[in-house]
Amino acid sequence: MTAEQLQALLPIIMMASTSVIVMLVVAFIPRHSVISSVTVLGFILTFASLSWTGEVGQGLQVTPLIVVDRFALFYSALLLLASLVITLLSFNYFTKGSGSENQVEPGEFYILLTTATLGAMVLVSSNHFASLFVGMELLGISLYVLVAYLSHYRQGRQGSLEAGLKYLVLSGVASAILLFGIALLYAEFGVLGFGQLGALWSNIGALNGIYAMAGLGLLLAGICFKLSLIPFHMWTPDVYEGAPVMATAYIATISKGAVFVLFLRFFMVSGAFMQEMANNLLILIAIASMLGGNLLALMQSNVSRILAYSSIAHMGYLLVVLLVANTGNVPVSTISESVGFYLVAYIITTLGAFGVMAVRSNMLDTRDTDQVADYKGLFWHSPWLASVLTGMLLSLAGMPLTAGFIAKFYIITMGVEGLKWLLVSTLIIGSAIGLYYYIRIIIVMFMRHDEEPITGKRDRAVSTIDGLVLAALAGVLIWLGVYPGPMIGVIQAAFPG
Amino acid sequence: MLEFLWLVPLLPLLGFLLLVLLPLTKRAAAIVGVGSVGAAALLTLLIVVELFGLSSDAQVFRQIYWTWMQAENFTAQFAFYLDPLAAVMMAIITGVGFLIHLYSVGYMDEDPGFARFFAYMNLFIAAMLVLVLGDNLVVLYLGWEGVGLCSYLLIGFWYDSHANGYAARKAFVVTRVGDALMALGMFLLFLHLDTLDIQQLMANANDQWQTGSSLPTIAAALLLGGALGKSAQIPLQTWLPDAMAGPTPISALIHAATMVTAGVYLIARTHELFLLAPDIMFLVALIGATTLFISGFTALVQTDIKRILAFSTISQLGYMFLALGVGAWSAAIFHLMTHAFFKALLFLAAGAVILCVHHEQDIFKMGGLRKRLPVSFWSFMIGGLALVAVPLTSGYYSKHEILFAAAGNENSGQLLWLLGVLGAVMTGLYTFRLIFTVFFGEENTRVHESTVGLVVKLPLVVLCLLSIVGGWFVLPLDHVFPASEEQAISGITSLVTDVAPFVGIFIAYLVFHQNKALADAVVAHTPGRLLQRFWFSGWGFDWLYQKILVNPFMLFVRINKNDIVDSFYRLAAWLMRLIHRLFGLTQTGRMQWYVGSIALGVVLIVGAGIFS
Repeated sequence: MTAEQLQALLPIIMMASTSVIVMLVVAFIPRHSVISSVTVLGFILTFASLSWTGEVGQGLQVTPLIVVDRFALFYSALLLLASLVITLLSFNYFTKGSGSENQVEPGEFYILLTTATLGAMVLVSSNHFASLFVGMELLGISLYVLVAYLSHYRQGRQGSLEAGLKYLVLSGVASAILLFGIALLYAEFGVLGFGQLGALWSNIGALNGIYAMAGLGLLLAGICFKLSLIPFHMWTPDVYEGAPVMATAYIATISKGAVFVLFLRFFMVSGAFMQEMANNLLILIAIASMLGGNLLALMQSNVSRILAYSSIAHMGYLLVVLLVANTGNVPVSTISESVGFYLVAYIITTLGAFGVMAVRSNMLDTRDTDQVADYKGLFWHSPWLASVLTGMLLSLAGMPLTAGFIAKFYIITMGVEGLKWLLVSTLIIGSAIGLYYYIRIIIVMFMRHDEEPITGKRDRAVSTIDGLVLAALAGVLIWLGVYPGPMIGVIQAAFPG
Repeated sequence: MLEFLWLVPLLPLLGFLLLVLLPLTKRAAAIVGVGSVGAAALLTLLIVVELFGLSSDAQVFRQIYWTWMQAENFTAQFAFYLDPLAAVMMAIITGVGFLIHLYSVGYMDEDPGFARFFAYMNLFIAAMLVLVLGDNLVVLYLGWEGVGLCSYLLIGFWYDSHANGYAARKAFVVTRVGDALMALGMFLLFLHLDTLDIQQLMANANDQWQTGSSLPTIAAALLLGGALGKSAQIPLQTWLPDAMAGPTPISALIHAATMVTAGVYLIARTHELFLLAPDIMFLVALIGATTLFISGFTALVQTDIKRILAFSTISQLGYMFLALGVGAWSAAIFHLMTHAFFKALLFLAAGAVILCVHHEQDIFKMGGLRKRLPVSFWSFMIGGLALVAVPLTSGYYSKHEILFAAAGNENSGQLLWLLGVLGAVMTGLYTFRLIFTVFFGEENTRVHESTVGLVVKLPLVVLCLLSIVGGWFVLPLDHVFPASEEQAISGITSLVTDVAPFVGIFIAYLVFHQNKALADAVVAHTPGRLLQRFWFSGWGFDWLYQKILVNPFMLFVRINKNDIVDSFYRLAAWLMRLIHRLFGLTQTGRMQWYVGSIALGVVLIVGAGIFS
């Protein structure tokens, strides 16, 4: 390994070191504030190290497993910032019970956040099936524990353990399927690198044969599970509901974002999207997800579950962009640009929505503040929180002046240019249905409530950190909605080498 | 000072923002509300003086602020255009506006919505200034709709009464008909002439269109539609009498002096287009003459003091339209100005009367107020004489210019003149019917005088002066409008025109002062009573619209009560809920089932892959 390659690998090394250091801190200085600060510092330094990777140009292959290019660096930056937000918002979520006797230092939570982010960074830099699997498992195994994390604190949080177990088993099944798919592809083609696969496939043209087809199908199924696309979506609402809210936010943003970025790279580098079989299947999956996700969310009374189902739909929308790629009407760089903007918007919005929920939740309660009824009249006693959540929900619905509008605008433009009328109309119908449940939450927040909230919950004052983080998210949300130019420029530069 | 033009509409707008955003005390609200308009008036004075100081060719000033919208070859600059016409309008708006603001401080003193009132008033002044200063039709339209909004808000100012809300809606809806036509006219103009910049538009129209061809005729007709709505001319006049539901200063400012003259301004502003459409010009004159004639009769039988003045306003606007139609552009603007003075005076004086008689508006419940309310009486007297166009008052000069221009018009000029003169007789009749009934005869009501303070009296006095000397102003509009050739007016025409108002006053004296039984006797007969009822209803226009527009519409509404189109959406919503419930069944929470779903998905994907 040359010094240049080592330098390019610096962020991943930094992230791994952060995990180790946080582990040591948890062992020797088990104080919540210290652990949290070290984690935050680790994320910030890792983020800063992204600019010290040297000139990677068109992409620098580090071992056959990892490629460091602008694409990888951009998404690493995005995921690191998202992790940072989650770490910051977690602090108060765990501190709120302080003073009570069963206060425990949630050190492991932070260790797992760092390892999960390490996995995510490996995923976005991966162009080889081995690193794909390693990254996915690193991310996944950290998440099993994060999801179940509260169960070892409180007897009341059985939901957390149940969610963790469900995620463990189902994700295990999916991993097995994915691995089997990789094995079949290896059996057929004898290579594991995306680039090598792409070179082979472009020679062959249309794939045929049981091994190739089954392998590609199983691979798709495994990825669709992680993205919770229909029919592999069923774990999503249960896990979202049971997991502590910041772990949910992590799954919704970083886990799904990293897997989608990997998916995008795999598609573009290997040329899998030129395969008609994969394309037709994905059209079906996209339509099912866009309609199914929104329809399932329609009458839910739990905000976490609503966001879970809405994430199914949003992943379906994103799939539309990939499906436009094989029409040849749209340059691949535009595809990458649309996906990039959508992911940025979606991550900011989802973090903001779960952030408001986290600010209002307390890990010592038997459940997070996630019932729609908990938000009744929120505007009248916490106008700022309600405004932030309103902004986030409007962005999810794709309203103008928010980032979500520009993001959705991109996708619809892509679909129209790619002449994918079926997909575009499904997207529009799905969005129309989606508007109903987003606005329902907003209406509830603006309802007058004269008596105590139904659940008897009272809000504590929002801490300074939480307030600043939420304000920053809301600010970026509006900024991207009103003046998206600079961000688009950044994303355009982040093209896989 | 010209470069400070932008400040003139901005000052009232800032006043509006302050009044809306800050919880001001009543005193502060009055200072902000009146002060901002006063400052605008002062600035206007300086600007107008400077503009008229320039040589008459150079009396044009344009300020471009920013590009408001741009799409392909369509560009709308946010720009103001100041020429003598706009300057005159600006002076009227800020000057009369300031006086009425001052008056309102006294008039609205006890109203709980004091600050809200001034906020709306300031917004109105700002919008009206944008209207007259707009360099292109889009900016003009912004002001146009802005004053419409303020008119709506202020008619319904006392919104807790159902009738006021209805009147406000009526005004809004009826003027909307005209506004829609005007918007169509703008689209048409842009479609064919590729610009909405007014000066450029006129130049292009002159270059590209033949006089009397169909395009300018249609375009002018559509713009005329807008003007008819705003200026309450037949057939869109029905909203103005009901608009009297608003506070009296509003009636003076918006529904007499300024907003209702926007239609006159629009036609004068685009007169070159109208000159290309002689048919529409004649239509304008005809509508004006008919309106002034019909509303004169309507005003004669009204009993509500404000409604009399409202119909009188419609009638006087009719004179302005008549002037526009016969090409007497500066006469129209001249009458617009003098009318602004004396009609504002009359409304404000009426307001003072209404205040003093405990919000009674029926003139037959008043009487003999001459001695008790001398200021109001003399204001009414001077305003009334100007309205009737008695020599030496301002109204005399402007109205005679119009009537002479009509008489000299080669296009049925005699008919137009005759209608105008008959209207002048009616004006004298209904005005002095009002004055004799309210201020002479025996006292009918208790009066308390204390409420009329200096802030109420001062504007009245100033407007009295203006109503008298306003006719001596010479409006320097020669370079804005094409010169109209001097018409030789026969002596007899001139004499009849001069005498007509006195005839009206004399009849009024006979019937409503000398021998009151006469009027009752006329009404006692069936034909007389029917005629009275017919006139009282405003020649049945409301009834007609109710029958041919409102009722069929309401019938349709009733038939379609459970909106047929809506039921489709309800079906969609119902279907979505159903599907949601069905889909929800899959969400069992059981892991076996979830794994089963994954397995099914895998089988489908792999199967599709292998067997494709």
